[in-house]
Amino acid sequence: MDKLRAKVRTLLSEGQVAGYLGYLIKDSHPLPHLFTPENLEEVDQAVVAPDNARYPLDKLLIPLAERYPEAAFAIQVRGCDERGLNELYKWGQLDPEKVVPVGVACTQEQADYCECPGPWASVVDYGEKCQPVAKSLRVEQVATLAEEDAFQEWLGAFKRCIKCYGCRDVCPMCFCKDCSLEHEDLMSTGQLPPDSIFQLVRAIHMAGRCIDCGLCEETCPAGIPLRVLYKKANALVKDLFDYETGSPTAGPSPWKMLGEEATLETKPM
Amino acid sequence: MSDQEFEPKILGFFCNWCTYAGADLAGVSRLQYPSNIRVIRVMCSGTVSPHHVLKAFQKGADGVLIGGCHIGDCHYLRGNYMTIKRVRFLQDLLKFTGFEPGRLHLEWISAAEGPKFAQTVRDFTEKIRKMGPARLKSARAA
Repeated sequence: MDKLRAKVRTLLSEGQVAGYLGYLIKDSHPLPHLFTPENLEEVDQAVVAPDNARYPLDKLLIPLAERYPEAAFAIQVRGCDERGLNELYKWGQLDPEKVVPVGVACTQEQADYCECPGPWASVVDYGEKCQPVAKSLRVEQVATLAEEDAFQEWLGAFKRCIKCYGCRDVCPMCFCKDCSLEHEDLMSTGQLPPDSIFQLVRAIHMAGRCIDCGLCEETCPAGIPLRVLYKKANALVKDLFDYETGSPTAGPSPWKMLGEEATLETKPM
Repeated sequence: MSDQEFEPKILGFFCNWCTYAGADLAGVSRLQYPSNIRVIRVMCSGTVSPHHVLKAFQKGADGVLIGGCHIGDCHYLRGNYMTIKRVRFLQDLLKFTGFEPGRLHLEWISAAEGPKFAQTVRDFTEKIRKMGPARLKSARAA
C-alpha cells in the first residue's frame, strides 16, 4: 500500500492531478473517495478495496471530468477498470490526457472468480500479477447446451428479472443519456417480468463495450448470469470483427465505423 | 394449433433503393409469393437496429427477413456494411441463447431481382412454416 500511497501523494502534492479517485475505509466499509490536495493527510488512509468490495470508479469519474473539464484526475484501476477507461476514451466520454491510472493487480482468487483474462492494469502500483484465466468455463458450459435447453435456461433466468435496472445503473460503460431500455416503443412498460428481449437488448449494447468487471451480475437481485451473456457477446465481437474490447491498441469499435470493406458474408437460409 | 393450420407471420425490413424496388418489380411482373410477409420500408438496411428485430420477435413475429442492396451497391455507399455486421452478430447471439437464429435472415436483393425477391420470400416462408411457431411465442403463451 505504501507504494500506491506514495504515488498518490506525489501526484496530488505536485499538482499533477486535481484529485485521486480511490477507496477509503469509512466506518469499517471501503467506500469510493475523492482524495484532494487540500486534504493530503487522508492519503494515509487510502486503500485498495478488498476483492469483493468494488465500485464502478470509472463511472464516478465521468461526471467529475464533465464538471471539471480542465482538471486531470488520478483513478485506482484494476485490469477491468483500465479496459473501461480505454473504451470510454474511444467513446469520447473521457480524455486520456486528463486521466492518470493508479494500477492494481488482482489476487489469483479474484481472477479465478471473474475468469478474468487480464487481471492487472498496465501499471501496477499495488499487488502482484497473477495467472490470467484465458477461457471462461461458464460460457463453455452454456455453449454445450442444445438450443432448446439453452432457450429454457435463459428464459428462466430472464423471467426472474424485476426490471430494477441495477445492471445498467452500476455499469461503468452505460453512459448514454437516453436509454433504449426505457424507450416505450422498444420495450414494454408496466409489466413483470419484462419483455424476454430485455437482457438481449442490453447484451447487444455490451458487445464490444463490456469490460467484464462483473458488477452487473453482483448487483442483480435476481441472480441472472449476465456476465456469461456479455462474455459471450464480447467473444462474438472478437470472432467476427477481431476486436479486443478494452485494448488500447484495438482501434475503433466495429460498431463505430462502417469499415473499408465488408468482410462478412450473409448466412445461407 | 396443428402444423397444417400454422400460418407464419413474417416481418420484412426492405431497403428503399434495392429490395423494396425488387419487391415492386416482383409485383408488376405478377410473380406469386406468400402473403405471410408484412413489409416495412426503410431508407437503408443499415438503419435496422437489432432492437427492431428483437422487438419483432417479442411482438410475435415467427420470422424476420431483412433485405438490402448488394455489397457495393448501397445508395449510401457503405450502409449495408453495418447491416451485415449487426445481423451476423445477432444471429450468433440468438444461437447462444437458444432464441432460434434461423428465424432471422438477411438477403441482398437488387431492384432488378424481382424473381429472386419472390423466391426468397417463398423459401423463407416455407422454412419458417416448417420450423413452426416461434419458441418465444410458445413460451409466452404457456
